[in-house]
Amino acid sequence: MLNSVVLTRRQKIPLALRASTFVLGLTVGFLVSCVVLLMSGVPLNAIFSEFVYQVFFTSLGQSQTITTATPLILVGLGAAAAMKLRFWNIGIEGQLWFGAMASTWVAINDIGPENIRLPLMMLAAVLAGAFWIAIPVFFKLKYGVNEIIMTLLMTYIAFQLVQHLLFGAWQDPSTSFPVSAHFDEAEKLARLGWGNAYTGIWIALAAGFAMWFLVDRTRFGYYSNAVGLNIVTARSTGLPVTAVIVISVLLSGGLSGLAGAVITSGAEYRLTQFLAHGFTFSGIVIAFVARFNPLGIIVAGLIIGGIYTAGETLKVFYSLSEAVVVLIEGILLLSLLISDFFKTFEVRIRNLKGN
Amino acid sequence: MSKAMELSGIDKSFNGKPALTNANLEVEWGEVHALLGENGAGKSTIMNVATGVYASDAGDVTLDGKKLKVTGPQMATELGIGMVHQHFRLVTRFTVAENVLLACKDQLGIRTTHEAAEAINAKAAEVGFPVHANAIVGDLSVAEQQRVEILKVLLLGAKIIILDEPTAVLTDQESNTVLEFVRKLAEQGNAVILITHKLREVISYSHRVTVMRGGETVLVGADAENLTAEELAAHMVGEQIMAIEPIDAEPGDVRLHIENLVVPNPIGGVGVEGVDINLRGGEILGIAGVGGNGQQQLADCLMGLADADTGKIELNGDDVTASSVRKRRSDGLRFIPADRSQSGIVPDMTVAENLAMTGVPDGQYGSLMSISRKTMRADAKQAIEDHNIMGASPNRSSRLLSGGNAQKLVLARELRDNLSVLIAHSPTRGLDVKACKTVHTSIKNAVENGAACLLISEDLEEVLSLSTRVAVMSKGIIVGELPMQENTREEVGKLMLGHA
Amino acid sequence: MEGFLINWITTFPNFAAPLLLACMGLIICERAGVLNLGAEGLMVVGAMFSVMIIYSGGGILLGVVGGMFAATMLSLVFGIAVVVFRADQVLSGLVVVALGTGITGIVGRAYTHKPIQGIEKFDAGALGDIPFIGRLVFEQDPLVYVTLFIVIAGWYLLMRTNWGLRLRAVGEDPATADISGVDVQGMRLVAVMISGALCGLAGVYLAVVSSQVWVEHMVAGRGWIAVALVIFARWNPIRAIFGALIFGGAESLTPRLLAIGADVPVYLMNMLPYAITLLVLLWPYIRGRAASSAPSSLGHEFLRQDRH
Repeated sequence: MLNSVVLTRRQKIPLALRASTFVLGLTVGFLVSCVVLLMSGVPLNAIFSEFVYQVFFTSLGQSQTITTATPLILVGLGAAAAMKLRFWNIGIEGQLWFGAMASTWVAINDIGPENIRLPLMMLAAVLAGAFWIAIPVFFKLKYGVNEIIMTLLMTYIAFQLVQHLLFGAWQDPSTSFPVSAHFDEAEKLARLGWGNAYTGIWIALAAGFAMWFLVDRTRFGYYSNAVGLNIVTARSTGLPVTAVIVISVLLSGGLSGLAGAVITSGAEYRLTQFLAHGFTFSGIVIAFVARFNPLGIIVAGLIIGGIYTAGETLKVFYSLSEAVVVLIEGILLLSLLISDFFKTFEVRIRNLKGN
Repeated sequence: MSKAMELSGIDKSFNGKPALTNANLEVEWGEVHALLGENGAGKSTIMNVATGVYASDAGDVTLDGKKLKVTGPQMATELGIGMVHQHFRLVTRFTVAENVLLACKDQLGIRTTHEAAEAINAKAAEVGFPVHANAIVGDLSVAEQQRVEILKVLLLGAKIIILDEPTAVLTDQESNTVLEFVRKLAEQGNAVILITHKLREVISYSHRVTVMRGGETVLVGADAENLTAEELAAHMVGEQIMAIEPIDAEPGDVRLHIENLVVPNPIGGVGVEGVDINLRGGEILGIAGVGGNGQQQLADCLMGLADADTGKIELNGDDVTASSVRKRRSDGLRFIPADRSQSGIVPDMTVAENLAMTGVPDGQYGSLMSISRKTMRADAKQAIEDHNIMGASPNRSSRLLSGGNAQKLVLARELRDNLSVLIAHSPTRGLDVKACKTVHTSIKNAVENGAACLLISEDLEEVLSLSTRVAVMSKGIIVGELPMQENTREEVGKLMLGHA
Repeated sequence: MEGFLINWITTFPNFAAPLLLACMGLIICERAGVLNLGAEGLMVVGAMFSVMIIYSGGGILLGVVGGMFAATMLSLVFGIAVVVFRADQVLSGLVVVALGTGITGIVGRAYTHKPIQGIEKFDAGALGDIPFIGRLVFEQDPLVYVTLFIVIAGWYLLMRTNWGLRLRAVGEDPATADISGVDVQGMRLVAVMISGALCGLAGVYLAVVSSQVWVEHMVAGRGWIAVALVIFARWNPIRAIFGALIFGGAESLTPRLLAIGADVPVYLMNMLPYAITLLVLLWPYIRGRAASSAPSSLGHEFLRQDRH
């Protein structure tokens, strides 16, 4: 039966088709998510009120969405920077952990003068995140080691390291919980005075626009485009392929690390045990939904941030697991992947009986 | 003799573009029927209709007097039609016996690799065509793999045997062996369809010939004996395309000097095992030889894409053995790679972006923190005009270019500025006659203007018609080098087989 | 010391079995050319649904079968996405992990931390008293023996039968398999579903034998270790047995050390399975043997070259 379907790869993909399959994919994804929520016992009107009205049209909801979206935009940019170069960074959480640990280290050890403490924390986080991905990128380029598994396993190692610190050297002596000591005022990103929203959002937006400039307006962007689309040609025409991959992937790790520092200094004010959870997949979904476009990633980050916000509410009022967020993300990504099929291929059913 | 297969009035179009228009073919039992035509003339398409891979839009297929519809390759096999594809349908990591077992699919009572080995040995003995049943296919030479393919088709009971360009990558001597075998198959009563674009094969080995051009059959079932090469060529090409004139240039100073070059093959197998080359301006050194004998590694190493184990490469007198691709390029080394869409262009970038690829690193299109797409487009417009790249505009995706025009794009990018040495690796693979001619003319003009060219090609015709000297590469070394003379063709063939 | 070693080594099979089951499933799937990164998600689903059924009184056998069935259904979603709709195999694999985590998070909320009566080890009586060998060989739980049987049978099926030949042809050269009359898409779907069933059984093992309870995050990266194990084993089920024993041994070291009251940094010790996997993964690459052992069309979609 499957063999009676004839596929032809489209040479030319009209804009209308590109747009309509994308919209179709998103729509189907959201509809299926709605069905899942209904089946989990959330009434229909609550879905709309929680996911649309509360999240995007109330001041409290908007501020919460922006708070959640801040690190999401950063990991989305990070995921895109590597994926564009066909490097699968499935270790965003690991790099985020390293960024969180580095910023915490700077904060609790009071490294540097107070007036540059925050920039130092951010810098340390970027470097730590980049370091944690430098290892797989080295082995990938030198020996061709599969980066998917390597970045992923290194996430588990990073998490155990965090546990080791939180149950040991960094444990806040004033509590028995596995959390670090509270940061000082100079180590906190300022609040915007609007719910929990904090100045981290400016960092995320600035990173988004900087990435857009880099990708769209510089020679580096041209290089990364060529390397990502056809590495063999890029190499044979003399483009600096290795440098482009290394820089992009380190940037990916650095942005993920920065997300960690933004969370510790802007949202948690200390290192906690679960702050990185789920960011790898969210980053990849955001990057994919935005088709790696940095400005699109800002929008997609806000949407996924909204889903997180709504998920929190559902958890409280309908005692749903927070896993509902990752489920919706999975459904959305799957739906988009399948809708791409109709964009990429021309589909016809072959008539075996005659012409 | 009675008719084995008759195709009449076949129409077939892809996405509205006609590929076959009222094509006709009739083949009789006991004959070798040549299907002659240039690349893209529709030879493979009509055979794919005959074997049920494509469904035709109109027309009839009659087999052994019965009109029927072939609905797929499986049905074709059951009807006794077997096709030996140009790209062999063999799993290279499997043994010969495993491949036969895979193809047999419990038919013919073959259920184990052991039975498959016995069957293939029996068949091989019967037709006098020895193969090693337990050898891994990937370890066999191309000619041996082809034997496996032919035996496989015969084992499956094919009586109508289609061979798609069987001699494309064989030496002349190997070609003769397989073509004689094909004659024998016909004498035994089978019908053989020989798809080819070589006139020699039609005249010396075929009984009748059908010529295709532009999706039509322009000559159907003519006696091959009564036709001359000139007549066949006229039917095949339509308008006469002049053969390329020999290069008119005196050898100048040494541009490329290669000494004892050794390059490993990263995936195992033959690499470059010690090659010396001296190439002067105004020369085209053709490197003939069956693919997979180190040609790819040689080309890659010269461009700086693969590291040499030992040896030295000098470009215009400077040692560039350890230099980057970019350094070599700025010293005038240029590259036409074997596979355009894989390594010549980035199909998903625009024509302008592709033309700019070598210029961007040199700062032709803005400094490090900027990129000038305007200049890119203007330059592209000029290049499209200069090289007559059809169907191209600066902002159009390069994916939409035809093979010939994509190659013109590569030429436009590679031949400009300070060209000193051109490495051309199979520059016309898969192109039609006219596009071949354009590519050859461009290369020839560049060499007459003083450049040096290393032409690496499996296509012996191409090497012989374009080169000023010919070398033969086999098992990673240059086994012999000859000036262009009358008997070069024969000598080259001997060298390729290691008989000289 | 000797007592510790014996106690430690006798736990190897218990830790190795789930890795080996998942790895076997993935080998079959990858030999057919489909890269399945969803093992982690399939295992979670297998674990949660088996506990749910057993906790609800369905019995152990139904629990085992139900867990496998649930994972197979999830793998079918993956299979349809990558085989029929040619979706990217890496991203689709991550989707499976997300769907598995999400579904079990929602459905399994009611069954978290509720102990069940799982499968116990054999008591082999006199045989178990044979020094060392007795406990290692005869006093494992029944699923360990089932696992060993599955792996050997899987090896035979893959390497010694015509079905295995066809499956491997699909993974090596789908165009040739297709023209030889093999149903490439059907074969790949079947392979994906086998990997679903076996990864599901691996999850069942963790829940019903190892921990006898369902907790979120209990699979803890073992699915990914299984993915790495496939490369280490170079797509050969027999080599996978040794790999699984190494990883199982590393994993069981921490609980054994804690059991004898050793003062070890627990969380650093917990890194061991991942770190060892990482190191062992590097080995075939550094020796240059990983790429040349991989099925040639692994991760590539198959498009038939017909243009009607």
